[in-house]
Amino acid sequence: MLKKYLNHFKHSLAETSAMLCVSSLIIFLIAMVLFIGFKGGQYFVPQSIYKVVVSFNDGPASDEAFYQASSLSAEALQTQYLERYQGQFLSQPELRPGVSVTPAEQVYQINTRSGPVYFGEFYALSSPEQELHPLTELENLKQAVDLLERSLNEVQGNKLSDLHSRIAALNNSDVAKEAPARQDLMDEFSKWQLQASALKTQIQQFQMRFKEADGSLVSVPLIEIDELFQANQLTQIERIGFTLNKLWQFIADKPKQAATTGGVFPAIFGTVLMVLLMAVVVAPFGIIAAIYLHEYAPDNKITGLIRIGISNMAAVPSIVYGVFGLGFFVYVLGGSLDALFYSNTLPSPTFGTPGLLWASLTMGLLTLPVVIVSAEEGLKRVPEGLRAGSYALGATKYETVLKVVVPMASPGMLTGVILAIARAAGEVAPLILVGAVKFAPNLPIDAEFPFVHLERQFMHLGVFIYDGAFHNQTQTQSASLMFATCMLLLIIVFLLNISAIMFRHRLKTRYERH
Amino acid sequence: MRRQIQLNTHISAKFNQELEGLKHSVLTMGGVLEQQLVNTLVALQEKAPSLAERVALNDSKVDLMESQVEQECMRIIAKRNPTAGDLRLVMTVSKTATDLERIGDEIARVARLVTLNKIPDSDLVFSGMLDIGNRNVSMMRATFDAFARQDDKAAILAHQQDHDIDRVYKKVLEQTAAEIQANPKEISQWLDVLWAIRAFERIGDRCKNICEYVIYLTYGRDMNSASMKKTVKKLLK
Amino acid sequence: MLKLFERDILSVDEISKAQTGIDVRDLCVHLNHKPVLNNINIRIPKNKITALIGQSGCGKTTLLNSFNRMNELNKNHACSGEVWIKDRNIYDRKEKVAKLRTQIGMVFQRPNPFPMSIYENVVFGLKIQGENNRRKLDDSVERALRNAALWEEVKDRLFDSALMLSGGQQQRLMIARALALEPEILLLDEPTSALDPLTTLYIEELINELKKQCTLVIVTHNMQQAARVSDYAAFMHKGELIEFSDSDSLFTMPAKQQTEDYITGRYG
Ligand SMILES: Nc1ncnc2c1ncn2[C@@H]1O[C@H](COP(=O)(O)OP(=O)(O)OP(=O)(O)O)[C@@H](O)[C@H]1O
Ligand SMILES: [Mg+2]
Repeated sequence: MLKKYLNHFKHSLAETSAMLCVSSLIIFLIAMVLFIGFKGGQYFVPQSIYKVVVSFNDGPASDEAFYQASSLSAEALQTQYLERYQGQFLSQPELRPGVSVTPAEQVYQINTRSGPVYFGEFYALSSPEQELHPLTELENLKQAVDLLERSLNEVQGNKLSDLHSRIAALNNSDVAKEAPARQDLMDEFSKWQLQASALKTQIQQFQMRFKEADGSLVSVPLIEIDELFQANQLTQIERIGFTLNKLWQFIADKPKQAATTGGVFPAIFGTVLMVLLMAVVVAPFGIIAAIYLHEYAPDNKITGLIRIGISNMAAVPSIVYGVFGLGFFVYVLGGSLDALFYSNTLPSPTFGTPGLLWASLTMGLLTLPVVIVSAEEGLKRVPEGLRAGSYALGATKYETVLKVVVPMASPGMLTGVILAIARAAGEVAPLILVGAVKFAPNLPIDAEFPFVHLERQFMHLGVFIYDGAFHNQTQTQSASLMFATCMLLLIIVFLLNISAIMFRHRLKTRYERH
Repeated sequence: MRRQIQLNTHISAKFNQELEGLKHSVLTMGGVLEQQLVNTLVALQEKAPSLAERVALNDSKVDLMESQVEQECMRIIAKRNPTAGDLRLVMTVSKTATDLERIGDEIARVARLVTLNKIPDSDLVFSGMLDIGNRNVSMMRATFDAFARQDDKAAILAHQQDHDIDRVYKKVLEQTAAEIQANPKEISQWLDVLWAIRAFERIGDRCKNICEYVIYLTYGRDMNSASMKKTVKKLLK
Repeated sequence: MLKLFERDILSVDEISKAQTGIDVRDLCVHLNHKPVLNNINIRIPKNKITALIGQSGCGKTTLLNSFNRMNELNKNHACSGEVWIKDRNIYDRKEKVAKLRTQIGMVFQRPNPFPMSIYENVVFGLKIQGENNRRKLDDSVERALRNAALWEEVKDRLFDSALMLSGGQQQRLMIARALALEPEILLLDEPTSALDPLTTLYIEELINELKKQCTLVIVTHNMQQAARVSDYAAFMHKGELIEFSDSDSLFTMPAKQQTEDYITGRYG
């Protein structure tokens, strides 16, 4: 009786604990996704601007006043600041800080092209001719700036560069003989240069002035202004527009101002390119290796050893691959490539430095076991009877593998490749060693011959996040950019996995009775 | 519960052929026997011992046929595992073959009597013998006809003919007994005649058996069983 | 001599060389270093159906596989002896295995259609042979499917997946697939073990029709089936051929006590 009861208890205990495990797992997963989604999503919604005024001992407002954009409510922001100041002045009990936070309705947010964001009340627009324009003049002034800029471009792009090349050509020929002509050109060159700098100053003189929270005036050249809006007075449609704009910017733009704002396009581009390159290398390699191992290799100790090796390869820490990639691919392979083909540019390395190609190869090596194991899994699932059927119809081994086995095993193979891609998209440690950087000035593909630059360093989503998390912990905005990137990475990996599942399912239904 | 056996509806065409062949073999045998009987009667009537001799010799052919049919039945049972109607058919054919072989033997007995020229001079008995013989021929025909068509009604009608044969047989028997009493010296000769008459009567009985098999074939039950009485009566009407 | 029943089956000793489809001489097969077939000698008659019967594991499949050298797919196999088909020893070194297998069709115990369309299944062998003429392929498909008594059922859905067919249809498709290559010999390894009795009968009938075109060897566990379908039967036991004769004799009066015990269900 007791035994029976105990037995029952054991069973229910096992069941409950299993259920608990699973449900906590799911809760954890959901929490993670929500957290990242919330934090990342903040990056895309417009934040309200508050005026924060700090005072001491209930006295009048001190000079400590500034505008702050935040998605928090005024009260929450107030408590946050209060706590911060109280902590700061803990050692000076005679100073009792007080913080007042009020929504700053009239305040503009000014996003500049170079990155810094300003907040301020509009004061005036100024142009070279006139000191004070009202805000309504903004469009006209902008047009004027546009005109000036166009002529500046004309001067710089056509006149100056043309003269420059002509001078350079003269420099190469006989100096003494061409001296007068050269002098003429030089004169003309300096004349245009003068005009260019005059234009530049003129452009800089179109400015917008605004008042900061402490009353001081700040000027920003109109040409610098990217966006200008009153964040607290956006209509619903404007808010949506803002979000869409931000989203587009996120996907299509470069990171700006030390990766605190802007977009992650170069990182997406780099990641995709690296991953594609890796897939191109690893898919045929892994699949052919799996086919050899499963279909052709004799069933002996060496094959067994190779299998053990492959499963161990999957367990090697990824940083080891990074070190290997750096040591072997970059220094040995890249070094000898440089010595062979790029000896004219040495000692500055071409391939002998971390770059896209080496990163792809390293990641290929890292994900090779994943591909091999799942491709072999797929091959294992092809029934022996089908092979026998093919042989019995006069097919050779090669024909059997090609026409019967591989098509049937393709879901497994494809899954392997997609899993490899997902892994490579999220990997960080080895990439830092072999070519991913936090900021790359150029994309690996551009209009410059030979268009694809496999030797270039590139940006990668994982590395970008790592960098953002590491260096910009304090700034809320950039943390949001980091979270947004996290969200993007999560979405990419989810999509990849779902597409793997769907693809496998599609192929499976083609090959199974339903 | 009458059920006609369809011989040509099996999935296996070969099985159809085999069953058809089996049935056909019975009819072939029947045809041979009919010819034998007719020949015997002719030999008897015209006192032609050579014809009778041929009949007696021909009997071995019937024996051979019987053994072939038996073998085929066995083969079919072994290889085809016939069931239900097919099984009844095979069993019926097997039993029929046995009866046919016996009929052949009886005919041969009469034929041998003719060869020995031991025909009685009593016209009455002689005509009685011919009468039974002719009745036998007609009954045999009716029986084989019923078998060929698996016709239950025809089989029962053929079955009924045996009454007449028995009646005539009794009459001829009495006449023969009277003849024997009249000239007891020729008793040994009369004894042979007696055997011949008896053989004719046996042929009728064998035909009766075959008719019963036909009924068994279509109804799956013995004709003399209580459950069949009603059906038989209905068919006789 | 009066004959009531036509018999076209010769007894085993009467089969001439010209009437022999497969001539197996002193065949021994080892699988995984274990003897599986011991010194098999058998002359399988041409254009007849020969059944292989015997207990599970006695080597029927192995014998069947040795007729198209499928045993060689096993990793450890060894084989000695000769198998003559049409004046050539298929175990000769010069013999091309793939080519050989196109002349010897095989149908497996379980239907194993390729996960392709019905059409693709039937033309698989032909395409391997390099036949790409669409017209010819179409013709062969129709002929093979008709021969396999499947045409009427599938003619409107030739390009549907073969996996959608029922078990019996699949098995007939397997026969059609083998027939498309117009083989001289068709080997059937328990072709109806997974089918219902009626479908089984249909396939048996089909097999019976096929003997006009080729020599058939069928392995079956179903004694009744062996009796029904075969012209000749071979009884095997533990890798040895115990008795080989026409199935009429084998199933009514076997020559060996061992055979009788097996077919009457008296096996110890
Ligand atoms: N690949 C193999 N490796 C080793 N032994 C094998 C192999 N295949 C078959 N055998 C052995 O060979 C013997 C004969 O096998 P086979 O498959 O020919 O039997 P079978 O008569 O077809 O049996 P079943 O009626 O069950 O199909 C068996 O004892 C089996 O254990
Ligand atoms: Mg087998």
